[in-house]
Amino acid sequence: MARYGMALNYKNCINCRACESACKEENGVLLLPDHYRIWVGVKEAEGQFPNISIASQTYHPSQCQHCDNAPCQQVCPTNATYYGEGGMVMVDPTKCILCTYCINACPYDARYVDNRTNTVDKCTFCSDTRLAAGETTTACQATCPTKVRVFGDLDDPNSEISLLLANKEYRQVKEHLGTKPKLFYIL
Amino acid sequence: MQTLSLKKLFYFEKTPLNVVMAVTTVALLAAFMAGAVAYILHGHHVYNVTRQHPWGLLIAMYVFFVVSSTGLCIISSIGHVFGIPEFQQIGKRAIAGAIITISSGFAVIGLEIGHPMTMLIYNVLTPGLTSAIWWMGTLYGLYLTFICLEFFFLAIKVNHTFSKIFGICGLLVGLAAHSNLGAVFGFLVSRPSANGVFYPVYFILSAMITGCYLIFLMYGFRYKMNFPEKISVMLVKLSKILGMLLAVLIFFEAWKIITALYGDMPERAETILHAVKHPNFWFGELILGMLIPFMIILLSNAKAIKATVYASISGMVGIFFMRYDLVHDTLLYPMTTLKRSEYQVAPTFVEYFPSAAEFAIGFGGIGLALFLYYVADKVFNLDETNQH
Repeated sequence: MARYGMALNYKNCINCRACESACKEENGVLLLPDHYRIWVGVKEAEGQFPNISIASQTYHPSQCQHCDNAPCQQVCPTNATYYGEGGMVMVDPTKCILCTYCINACPYDARYVDNRTNTVDKCTFCSDTRLAAGETTTACQATCPTKVRVFGDLDDPNSEISLLLANKEYRQVKEHLGTKPKLFYIL
Repeated sequence: MQTLSLKKLFYFEKTPLNVVMAVTTVALLAAFMAGAVAYILHGHHVYNVTRQHPWGLLIAMYVFFVVSSTGLCIISSIGHVFGIPEFQQIGKRAIAGAIITISSGFAVIGLEIGHPMTMLIYNVLTPGLTSAIWWMGTLYGLYLTFICLEFFFLAIKVNHTFSKIFGICGLLVGLAAHSNLGAVFGFLVSRPSANGVFYPVYFILSAMITGCYLIFLMYGFRYKMNFPEKISVMLVKLSKILGMLLAVLIFFEAWKIITALYGDMPERAETILHAVKHPNFWFGELILGMLIPFMIILLSNAKAIKATVYASISGMVGIFFMRYDLVHDTLLYPMTTLKRSEYQVAPTFVEYFPSAAEFAIGFGGIGLALFLYYVADKVFNLDETNQH
């Protein structure tokens, strides 16, 4: 069975935020404050003028980490949050009671309340929009001009993401919490 | 149980204190209704909760009410479960208070949970057994059932065997439910300032303190400070218990803060330092909630029961700040520390101030509790009877 994850060559990111637009367009995310499934974090340059380290200013694209041991799934009182196909963390809006416990529990700020359904929403790796239609990439990956993102099956040793992770060093975010995140930042 | 006409139900002696209480109750009830209407019309948009601060005043007030309920249940059990004679007289009044406060808490949380009917259905069909909220909610439902039955056999169809059985069940399930409420916060691995064993234990301790404060307030109002001898004896003993509990709480809090600050652990130390420097903590929690009542009990050798009644008002205000800070401090630290745009400043501690609707519903819940207590006091004889 597949186990989907995403590797990010984050040093290639130019902060054009086409991924944010593509995500909103593909998944019908509303154009409202707090309504975003993915975002690009901006790490400011270090040092004081004139000794500023330009290389230290980096951009960190982020989204739901689709943790293998997801705190949001553990805390859900109605199992509205569940592990879907390919180990993706999904939300069933028919079961969501909007207690927002999962939003509190998520260490990555990956969840928000959708105004239309009045339930919690998050990144699905485009599983219901693109993957269900036979595509093998997510909208954010397909639109990225500098090829930051590589989406694929972590359990397939020949997949592009597995080969990349086998040959490159990477780091994960807040992995000390034991969440086993599936977003890998290539160093 | 007494049969009452509406006229009798709403008749009360027009003393200044009674009138003030009546006006306060009606005003808070009106606020609750107005807040509820605003929520029904506009949903969560009338609350100031955000993606970064998804819980607010209403969660704090829910905790405030259920802590009060569990506290009253625990304190009442000293008498009619553990058989300490002086405390048997508080059973009916305390259990009535426990039912009323948890009902008010459910009314408040009912306006915070987005889909309460879905909750009732899927709590049963697809229970999340690893969720502290599931256990807390389910156990509190069971607890309410037990204490209602306990009250039935205490005040309506008097049967001491049954009241004791349901009292023990209510106490055990209430303790389990309440420590699970602490675990709702303690289980948050993403929030180092809350994560750990402290909250499940602290919740039980602070519930007992809240129960003592409420007993003092209920009896202070019931007897207008002219306590009969039997009540005075009980309140002096309760005051000693309260003093001891406050000492333990101050000890716990001190070590929680020292442990959190020691070693300057990322996230945890700066969050707790930020929290303890805020007046909500040092004035609200510490001075009003702990030190004023503790000093009065200590300096009077627990004999100044009238002063302790006034100190209980200060104590309950402090308990409110404890609940508010519990929620706000847990959510203080931003989960994403990078800004999302070149034109922002880097995220810092998350800001939150409740909206008018949150204040109306949250504090309106107190009006609901006061009104229900007034009705219960009229309909049932909450004082000790000879049968007891």
